[in-house]
Amino acid sequence: MQVRPTQRSLTITNRTDQLQVVRDFVRESLHAGAVNSGIENRISLAIDEAVANIIEHGYESDRTGSIDLLIEISPGRFQVVIRDSGHSFHPDGVADPDLDEHLREGKRSGLGVFLMRQVMDEVEYSFREGLRNELKMVKYL
Amino acid sequence: MADFGLTKKDLAGGVVLLDVQGYLDAHTFEQLDDAIEACFKGGKHRLIAKLDKVGYISSAGAGVFIGAIGKAKEKQGDIVLLSPSPNVREVFDLLGLTRVFHVVATLNEALAKFGAA
Repeated sequence: MQVRPTQRSLTITNRTDQLQVVRDFVRESLHAGAVNSGIENRISLAIDEAVANIIEHGYESDRTGSIDLLIEISPGRFQVVIRDSGHSFHPDGVADPDLDEHLREGKRSGLGVFLMRQVMDEVEYSFREGLRNELKMVKYL
Repeated sequence: MADFGLTKKDLAGGVVLLDVQGYLDAHTFEQLDDAIEACFKGGKHRLIAKLDKVGYISSAGAGVFIGAIGKAKEKQGDIVLLSPSPNVREVFDLLGLTRVFHVVATLNEALAKFGAA
């Protein structure tokens, strides 16, 4: 089946119980765009990791904020743009994890950004501190 | 599928079977973390995590196992992954964890890793 051009948006608040809402939104968008279901888990994973990072690092725990997602699917291309207005978080500054070190020391950090890079073909970040952060990720279909 | 569920069963040889269901993400991982920590506090370091009914795992969920396996091994234990669902397997492969953890298809194979089959 050919990919159907699709554009969908979602706004959530910065709570971890919204991650399932995000994954449902991604799955429904991929179905609407007739994207091969074989990459559904990986794309959901990359977006879940990005949103989970914003929830964890972007806002103080007592501050409510919103996170906007915009998915655009076109022939050969899946794109998601994630915007928030919390503290900026730079995936570029996160080194790939050294698995042996993580296992030795029980470390867990950096795994999400690593997965985003593993799964997506482009990960691009821009920000204006305290105003708007924007993360764009592209997967070629 | 419910967000998260877990049943714990003591087996022969001091082995504990953790049957995990649902989603293991940044919202639910602490429940598994707590269950594994409770096993360690009870002196149980030989764990089998049954993951066939886990429909989704993120780095937060995988991180639970990364954080725990070292502690298990320090006490001559281990964590064996039993029949992970395809989605779980895919994430463990992406993280390179399938070269570190024993991944088995049957409970007997899991028990054999502890010499308890």
